[in-house]
Amino acid sequence: EDRISAVHAFPETLIYTKSFLSFVDKVNEAGKGVVQIDVRGGPEAIGMFQQPDAVRDGVVDMVYTPGSFYGGALPEKDAMVASNLTAVETRENGGIELIDQIHQEKMGLKYLGWFDSGVCYNLWTRDEPSFDDAGNLEVEGLKLRGNNVYNAFFTNYLGAQVIDLPTGEVYSALQRGVVDATGWTQIGLIDLKWNEFLNYRIEPCFFSTDLGVIVNLEKWNSLSDESKKILQDVAIQHEKDSVEALRAKRDEDFAALEASGMKVVTLEGEAKANYLAAAREKTWERMKGLMADQPGGTDNYDRLIEHFYDLDAN
Amino acid sequence: MTAIRKGYSALLYAMAFIAGATLVWLMVSVILSVMMRNFGLQPFAWLFTSAEYGLFYMTMLGAPWLVREKGHVHIELVTSALSEFPRRIVSRAVALACIAVCIILAWKGAELFLTNIERGDVDTRAYYYPRWLLTVCFPLSFGLMAIEFMRFVFGSELMHTGEAGIHE
Amino acid sequence: MEWYEALLLLLGTIVFLMALGMPVALAFLAANIIGAWVFMGGDRGVGQLLNNGLGALTKYALVPIPLFLLMGEIFFHTGLGGRMFNAIDRLLGRLPGRLSYVTVLGGTGFSTLSGSSMGSTALLGSLMVPEMNRRGYKSHMSIGPILGTGGLAIIIPPSALAVLLATLAQIDVGALLIAGVIPGLILASFYIGTIWLQTKIDPDAAPAYDVPPMTFGQKTLLLMRDVVPMVGVMVVIVALMINGFVTPSEAAAFGALGVLILAAVFRCLTWDALRRSINGALRVTLMAYLIVFGSATFSQLLAFSGASRGLVSWATSFELAPLAMLLVMFAVLLLLGMFMEQISMMLLTVPIFFPLAQTLGFDPVWFGLIMLLALEISFTTPPFGLLLFVMKGVSPPGTTMREIYTSAFPFIGCSLLLVALLIAFPKLALWLPYQ
Ligand code: NA
Ligand code: NA
Repeated sequence: EDRISAVHAFPETLIYTKSFLSFVDKVNEAGKGVVQIDVRGGPEAIGMFQQPDAVRDGVVDMVYTPGSFYGGALPEKDAMVASNLTAVETRENGGIELIDQIHQEKMGLKYLGWFDSGVCYNLWTRDEPSFDDAGNLEVEGLKLRGNNVYNAFFTNYLGAQVIDLPTGEVYSALQRGVVDATGWTQIGLIDLKWNEFLNYRIEPCFFSTDLGVIVNLEKWNSLSDESKKILQDVAIQHEKDSVEALRAKRDEDFAALEASGMKVVTLEGEAKANYLAAAREKTWERMKGLMADQPGGTDNYDRLIEHFYDLDAN
Repeated sequence: MTAIRKGYSALLYAMAFIAGATLVWLMVSVILSVMMRNFGLQPFAWLFTSAEYGLFYMTMLGAPWLVREKGHVHIELVTSALSEFPRRIVSRAVALACIAVCIILAWKGAELFLTNIERGDVDTRAYYYPRWLLTVCFPLSFGLMAIEFMRFVFGSELMHTGEAGIHE
Repeated sequence: MEWYEALLLLLGTIVFLMALGMPVALAFLAANIIGAWVFMGGDRGVGQLLNNGLGALTKYALVPIPLFLLMGEIFFHTGLGGRMFNAIDRLLGRLPGRLSYVTVLGGTGFSTLSGSSMGSTALLGSLMVPEMNRRGYKSHMSIGPILGTGGLAIIIPPSALAVLLATLAQIDVGALLIAGVIPGLILASFYIGTIWLQTKIDPDAAPAYDVPPMTFGQKTLLLMRDVVPMVGVMVVIVALMINGFVTPSEAAAFGALGVLILAAVFRCLTWDALRRSINGALRVTLMAYLIVFGSATFSQLLAFSGASRGLVSWATSFELAPLAMLLVMFAVLLLLGMFMEQISMMLLTVPIFFPLAQTLGFDPVWFGLIMLLALEISFTTPPFGLLLFVMKGVSPPGTTMREIYTSAFPFIGCSLLLVALLIAFPKLALWLPYQ
């Protein structure tokens, strides 16, 4: 029997972690006597940002984490961040295979699956957002909380005054008016209680979550073929299941937010197109710049964009 | 020999001085970024990041000096119950164990540092900062700490006083 | 390896090394090396340990502590603190143990500002202990109340730890924060009662010297000149926080700046005082942060090896009456708290304790408050509570271990009494938030 140790980046109570744990249950069910995943815990077991190195070095065999936590080693993760597709389409069109290949070459990791995809990000504000004559969002005077996932978009395009804060400080920063707007995924706002202070959601949404399961390659290669097959099959199934589950959760969250007074403001026409174009292009720009500094250069750039973005979709 | 000794001491105190300057920088960086924010300017992200890294540099660079100053807190329980001679033995043995710990960490830290250079690892916060610029502190700091603990193994001074209590 | 073997190995190593007299930070690091070797796959684990330590230290939440220390040290070394305490001494007349009361009142006020118990212990310790020592107070009269009020920081809002707990446990943040107000005030009054009792039992503990009588005019002058400006610095900082000018983590920097300006105004800011202040703040910070470096990884090893989770699951697996179950959970928190860092403990225990509390029929806000109190008590529990070491760092040379431990006990007793009261009368916590 193969045994795989695993940790997850976020606390156990977070929805994304629950999704990963349900994947683990499915593997352990299907893999009885063949392969078992032994979850060691979350950030209390290995620090959130140390987990990618830990799996690379073989301290732990499997990690569930956003690609952004190891974006320095693998800037290609921005293809997923900027994506408007889900794991289902990118599994079919070979995008995930490409990402897997890049993980193997650059980091010695097997990319097993892209979970919880299809969830995108919105801007959330305390006060009603204003628009210029062309219908573009006015960010002047907005105290926007950022982090290194969004900043390429927020600062380079929107020109917003971005205040970098760790997630744990955002609640009290909103409470005191240190910030009055933030980006966040469509779901999870209620869990963080930020909806106590935020009243507007700006559509359209942009970006995608980039949570994935990575496995130490040496460990992966040491597994029996049967184990590999079970892991891969269950992962592909979970890619599908998690898209469905999180969409349902999003609808639930949106309904709950609306019921408690959250208003939706939508960018239209050209303003909308520009907003979305900026979100993806500023992020691609960053990706390309970082890729150029690494061995292999920008060889995969066009293929990545082709596989992870459908320009006709919006 | 004395030249080496002097140079070494100068290095130790220079590191401690940088640690102290970093502490002051923490204050300055916070004040600057708050002022900028409240005057409607975009605070430089490096103000925030430099404070976070500063905490690490401060701790690592100052730690060997604190060993010399006997500032690392310890508890005297066994050593206070022993008579003079066995106490000396235990005290020097503990200092020796500290050296072992520091040497292992200096050695593993050096490996980590080299790996970081080889892989081109970066720390991703507001900026992409080369990781080796941080991990280089490990061999340096733990190496110097090992040397400082050597005083308490071979030198005339002991780490433990024999009086019960927490000691610095 | 079974969880109890892992627990025994890790805790055994650390207890043995500390008892032998190895510096606390080094003992953690030594236990980590052994633990990493055993549980994280040999020598790769040691590299991981260093990465973890780096991650644990480069956190913005740690910025305020050295700055609060700096603020307190500047206060002391420039003589501003001496001025203020002289004035308070004279204004309060003959009340025995008056500076201890001032500590509790000031500490309670200060904990409304600070969400960090380490920060407020650092500030109050460096502010009060040297002065009180100079005035002939026995050390338990200064150390005890400070360790106690450091604890108030967690339950009286704002409290970063309470927000984090509420978020993890998915309970109402506002309710949990407000629930802490009345119990926090009760706890502060217990502290005052304790000091009164201590001065009754041992009148020598606090010097009862006569102060010359003063006219109303003299008193007013003294108050306006030597007390109001210093207290004013604190008030300004609180005001800056309330109107969103600074976050709680940033407040400390402005506190240090405020005291610097004040010292310049009173013409007592010398290079020598500044140098000694930085030196003093640096020593305590370095000592505490190397322990943070070591203990963060130690917490992670307890979790990664399965030791702490095993303990928690085992302890909660018995079918007991709700009250007994509550006490078991409380005991587990206290035990883990002696060795683990608070946030790691919350991450570990919340997913297990809160569902259990729900099936036992506990109110989640009430249970959250009990949990915060447990976390707080464990922070000051001998032998390894981190606040004890911070306290040692700011105490005058010659302060012994035993003094710090015995100073802490009566105030830990107060917290336990409060927990008992909350169990007997849950309304104490729940009345205000459910208004
Ligand atoms: Na507080
Ligand atoms: Na603790």
